Amino acid sequence: MNGKAVTLEHIKKTYRVGASRKRRAAVEDLSLEVGYGGIFGLLGPNGAGKTTTLKVLLGLVFPDSGSGTLLGTALGDRQAHKRLGFLPEQPYFYGFLTAEKGLALYGQFFGIDEGILQKKSADLIEMVGLPHDSHLTLDKYSKGMLQRFGIAQALLNDPELVVLDEPSSGLDPVGQKEVRDILLQLKDDGKTIFLSSHQLSEVENICDSVSIVSAGRSVLEGKLSELLTVEGLTRIVLSGEDARAREGLSFARSVEQADGFTTVEVSSGDTYRALEASRALGMELVSAQPYHRSLEDLFLETVKETSS
Amino acid sequence: MRNVVAIAVNVIKDTARKKIFYVVFLFGLVVVALAPLLPTFELGSQASFLRDISVSLTSLFGVVLAVVLSVGQVPGEVDKRTIYNILSKPVSRVQYLLGKYLGIVVSLAAILFVMSLEIIVLLAVRVQVFSPVIFQGVFAVFLEACVISAFCLMLSTFTTVPINVFAAILFYFVCHMKTGFLHQRLVAGSMNGFLKVLAGAFYYVIPNLENFNISQQVGYGGGAGWWYMLRVTGYAVFFSAIFLLIGYATFRRKDL
Repeated sequence: MNGKAVTLEHIKKTYRVGASRKRRAAVEDLSLEVGYGGIFGLLGPNGAGKTTTLKVLLGLVFPDSGSGTLLGTALGDRQAHKRLGFLPEQPYFYGFLTAEKGLALYGQFFGIDEGILQKKSADLIEMVGLPHDSHLTLDKYSKGMLQRFGIAQALLNDPELVVLDEPSSGLDPVGQKEVRDILLQLKDDGKTIFLSSHQLSEVENICDSVSIVSAGRSVLEGKLSELLTVEGLTRIVLSGEDARAREGLSFARSVEQADGFTTVEVSSGDTYRALEASRALGMELVSAQPYHRSLEDLFLETVKETSS
Repeated sequence: MRNVVAIAVNVIKDTARKKIFYVVFLFGLVVVALAPLLPTFELGSQASFLRDISVSLTSLFGVVLAVVLSVGQVPGEVDKRTIYNILSKPVSRVQYLLGKYLGIVVSLAAILFVMSLEIIVLLAVRVQVFSPVIFQGVFAVFLEACVISAFCLMLSTFTTVPINVFAAILFYFVCHMKTGFLHQRLVAGSMNGFLKVLAGAFYYVIPNLENFNISQQVGYGGGAGWWYMLRVTGYAVFFSAIFLLIGYATFRRKDL
């Protein structure tokens, strides 16, 4: 598919706060692009403007300035919403409806034929693990069950783009794993997933690309694999610990020994030299690969840099 | 239209859940409880009095129901964030507001219809008079409740529930006083220039809710003429539409 699923250009959004009604920026200058297919993660600390960004995208709040597109149409065009699924953060639903009736209500907005809707609802309820609770009214649901129902209603129209605000919020580890599997399955089905999260492990595990926002600005954006790779560094893991290693590998950037392994970080140009030195020390090679930092390191580094 | 109806049906289900229909039966009990306290009139005047007081009481209940059903519709959904799951779907804000209003109007119609049946049965049992004219009186109450609902729904797009309730009560009394106090002052000319212009503008802008008060005509048994009923229906539709338009104008670009 050509074009971008989502584009936002220089979005600014302020709110009036306090008794003085002074304007405070929730989003200062945010731009991002999300292509079709794959999982995109919008990362940022609390108050960075993630939820406001999603609301701008969905036409729930109106930016002071800036523009954007959603599934090829200008922001605010309701036609795009026919091809969109949305799960808000900590979702609430009409408590007097059962899961089945809730899905029947939301399904009507997409004009889904009643027979198809019933079948689709049953499948989704099964998929999110609520088949035994579908007769209960939603006010009887736990936080995790509501989250699951929220995912089901977001997928009701078989959307091209699924926007999820903190999808694993309130879920136990098993539930988080299940959500992760659902998102990966959706990705395999060719959907575009746009999720906002501050659960870095979740994002690192499933996202193809990310944008980090801090203080209402987009500060880093790109493919996750590229962002996490540190150019020009190789990490070599050797079996065994040897006191002579620090001396023999003195040209290395770092040498750490723990739990029977020696981890060496060297400039990529020194990789073969390090391998020969370690062989001379009688240490077996376990792995040698381009150095990747963790998303947590990248995130903290980026947020710290921008806030300072 | 499909979206409007879906939202309206949801409002009706929510109303039923709130057990507001019990108010209707409470109303019946109140009327029945009041009936023995009535002085002993001749059969005809007792029937007239009962018709009059029943429609007046229905009017009071109609106003309360209209306010209760309308004031929390938008702020309640924003607070609970249920509105996100509606407006993130292909539902426009005008469809949302119209759906809410339609749901309130249908709920009011159902409740007031049951109330009018209760009155008719009461009259038949108490004074052995069949009074279908009650439907006309309650229909006028329904029209008034529709206008008040539209007013409250309009306010609910930009105010909190307590302010809305206060404003609704004020609106009700001012709109009922319009033909009395305000009109007399304007005609008597006891106001100075600027005040007169202001009062005059106010006089013509606000609806006259006394137009919906036909309890005396219903009490006499004849009711109001069909032409009059047609005019007040148009009057109610006009003011409801104005309030909904203002509500939409403020809700259209409201941040949620």
